[in-house]
Amino acid sequence: MDWILLAELSTNGVFVGLMYALVSLGIVLIYKTSGTANLAQGAIAMTGGYVTWALATLVGVPIWLAIPAALVIMFGFGLLMERIALRRMIGQPVIMTIMLTLGVEIMLRGILPGVFGAAVKRLDIGMPQQPLFVGELLLNRATMIGGSISLLLILLSLFFFNSRFGVVMRAVADDQTASWSVGIRVERAIAVAWGLAAVSATAAGVLWGSTQGVDWSLSLLLIKALAIAILGGLDSIPGVLIAGVIVGVAESLATGVLDPLVGGGSRDVVAAVIILVTLLLKPHGLFGRHHIERV
Amino acid sequence: MSLDRRSFIAGSAALAAPLVLPVQVFAQEKIVRFTLPQDFTRIYTFVTSEYNQGQRDYFTLVNDRGGVGGYKIVADITDHANDLPRAIEAYERGKREGAVLIDPLSTPVARALVPRALEDKINMITAYSGRSDAADGSAFPYVLPLSINYWTQAGLIIEQFKKTEKGSLKGKKIVFVHIDTPFGKEPLPILNVLAKKEGYELAAFPYTPPGNDQSAIWPQVRRARPDFVIFWGAGVGQTVALTEAIRNGLPMDRVSGSVWLSESDMDVVGREAAKGVMKVEPCVGGREPKVIKDILADVVGKGKGAGPENKVGTGYYNYGVQMATLMVEGVRKAAEKAPNGPVTGPWLNEGLRSITNFTADGLLPPTTITKDDHQGGGMGRIARWDGAKFVPITDWYSANQDVVWEEIRKNSEEFKKSGK
Repeated sequence: MDWILLAELSTNGVFVGLMYALVSLGIVLIYKTSGTANLAQGAIAMTGGYVTWALATLVGVPIWLAIPAALVIMFGFGLLMERIALRRMIGQPVIMTIMLTLGVEIMLRGILPGVFGAAVKRLDIGMPQQPLFVGELLLNRATMIGGSISLLLILLSLFFFNSRFGVVMRAVADDQTASWSVGIRVERAIAVAWGLAAVSATAAGVLWGSTQGVDWSLSLLLIKALAIAILGGLDSIPGVLIAGVIVGVAESLATGVLDPLVGGGSRDVVAAVIILVTLLLKPHGLFGRHHIERV
Repeated sequence: MSLDRRSFIAGSAALAAPLVLPVQVFAQEKIVRFTLPQDFTRIYTFVTSEYNQGQRDYFTLVNDRGGVGGYKIVADITDHANDLPRAIEAYERGKREGAVLIDPLSTPVARALVPRALEDKINMITAYSGRSDAADGSAFPYVLPLSINYWTQAGLIIEQFKKTEKGSLKGKKIVFVHIDTPFGKEPLPILNVLAKKEGYELAAFPYTPPGNDQSAIWPQVRRARPDFVIFWGAGVGQTVALTEAIRNGLPMDRVSGSVWLSESDMDVVGREAAKGVMKVEPCVGGREPKVIKDILADVVGKGKGAGPENKVGTGYYNYGVQMATLMVEGVRKAAEKAPNGPVTGPWLNEGLRSITNFTADGLLPPTTITKDDHQGGGMGRIARWDGAKFVPITDWYSANQDVVWEEIRKNSEEFKKSGK
């Protein structure tokens, strides 16, 4: 057994998992406030990547300005999406809302490569490529930096949920009718959640785009994000953090340990197995709340 | 003022004449119809637009110069999106409209169309795609790769590694990182046979398609301490593979890809960082070849280009021109043999399968297509990325063709027996 390889894969898995978790954060934010599963999160991450690339490459905005500009644009995109599409679904069965987000996912995946061209785009945010060795152990600088930024943003969102507006959003999540009755603007809270979800997706899109390039395949982040959200609990931000690390390390180790035995392809099975096992054994995930309905 | 019936008809005829006349003149011209349903929107998007642009620009050049052998080329372009029902529909439409050649540029589509093309006697071009055993013309008379297949490309790369090691790969370790699909696994039989023959150790690392996250693969590659690395994929899988190879500190001058590596990929990876990486070149890249200069002057220069000017001369653009020159040469040969046609699949097939020592004024290696060899002789060369362009480091050569043809015949015999 090559212990250094296992240590390297585990370390790398932690950072990659944190980068996945950033996509997952948006799913949790929306579920927490509106009770809707957002299946467009992968495509929104892809859109954020494309918008940043377009600002930096087509418009010529310096990358340090293009990223915050893209975050602002995508916050607006999230607000608009809620206002134009999601709010109209109030009163409709939840499944229809979920299908709507799936429709948005498919539409974005078709439109963006159609508009900007389907070839992979370079998004250079200045991450160093040179390998970093600690003894014999190699640390992948790109995933290390990406994972650390993701961790910071997820922690920030935790603080946000303890702020005044965060408490409002938590109230909306707990009981929308009661929130209305005490004067909370429920629609605004949900719209902000969509805006913030788009911001976290964009941050993830930029980080992943800088490591793999920007193209339609960024939307595939949805599968990992769903696995993390389900494992961590759809309404738990700390759950996202821990589940992200678990999924990242499990995938990484599967590639190193299982692939040589089964001939490859185990990485993507990990996410699917995690979704299935969690739903069968612990449907609310590791940290999700059990909803108790009074009859 | 009154307008009688006769004046109305005469006036209408006069007005309509300029609109109708060119169509009639065109209809009277002798034409050869090609159908080019390709994947512009899904999987092969990394290559299709540049490849197809090269083809259209070359057909424009030929037609503007009066055609070939008295015939003009008509190319119908559609998008099959790598979707089999759409591709089959496009094929049937092409057949109805009299197409005698189809170029689908997609492995699954080409594989699905093989029985139809063989039955309908429509020439199907499968450059860098489709079945590698289609090189055997005796088994696949109407399936024409017209270029080096993946087995030959693997053979060329191993030969180059051998040259680097002064003629012996004994005791060396070669790692093969590939997308986990039939296309990715295709070179494995050849690499395994050559491993026994040359005495090197082969280690294969598959990655899940499309290959957008390979961060757990490359640490294993690095720790395997390879002497050489071959990476085999396309699109995002290629750029991610190369990026991870750089991040793992692998020496780029010992890393090689297949024909699927382009200038656009280098832009994504970083032109400077990728310096040294090798690829297989099936034709000359850049704008130096005469035919590319002609396109620039007589097609693009006159505003008739089919796409962005900055794509003219890229690797994939030139692959498209390469294929178009071979198709047109096939028409020329066919017209030589039977000037008055009739233009049918078998008519063009005769021409395509008699192309001899053709280089398109230095764009491609000497290519000879025969009734047995649809690969064209199996010549290619290795080029190295110098930070700005791919520079050839070998002359045109073929290598390990005995091993390659053994594999081709093994598979084509199976096709003859079982149709699979």
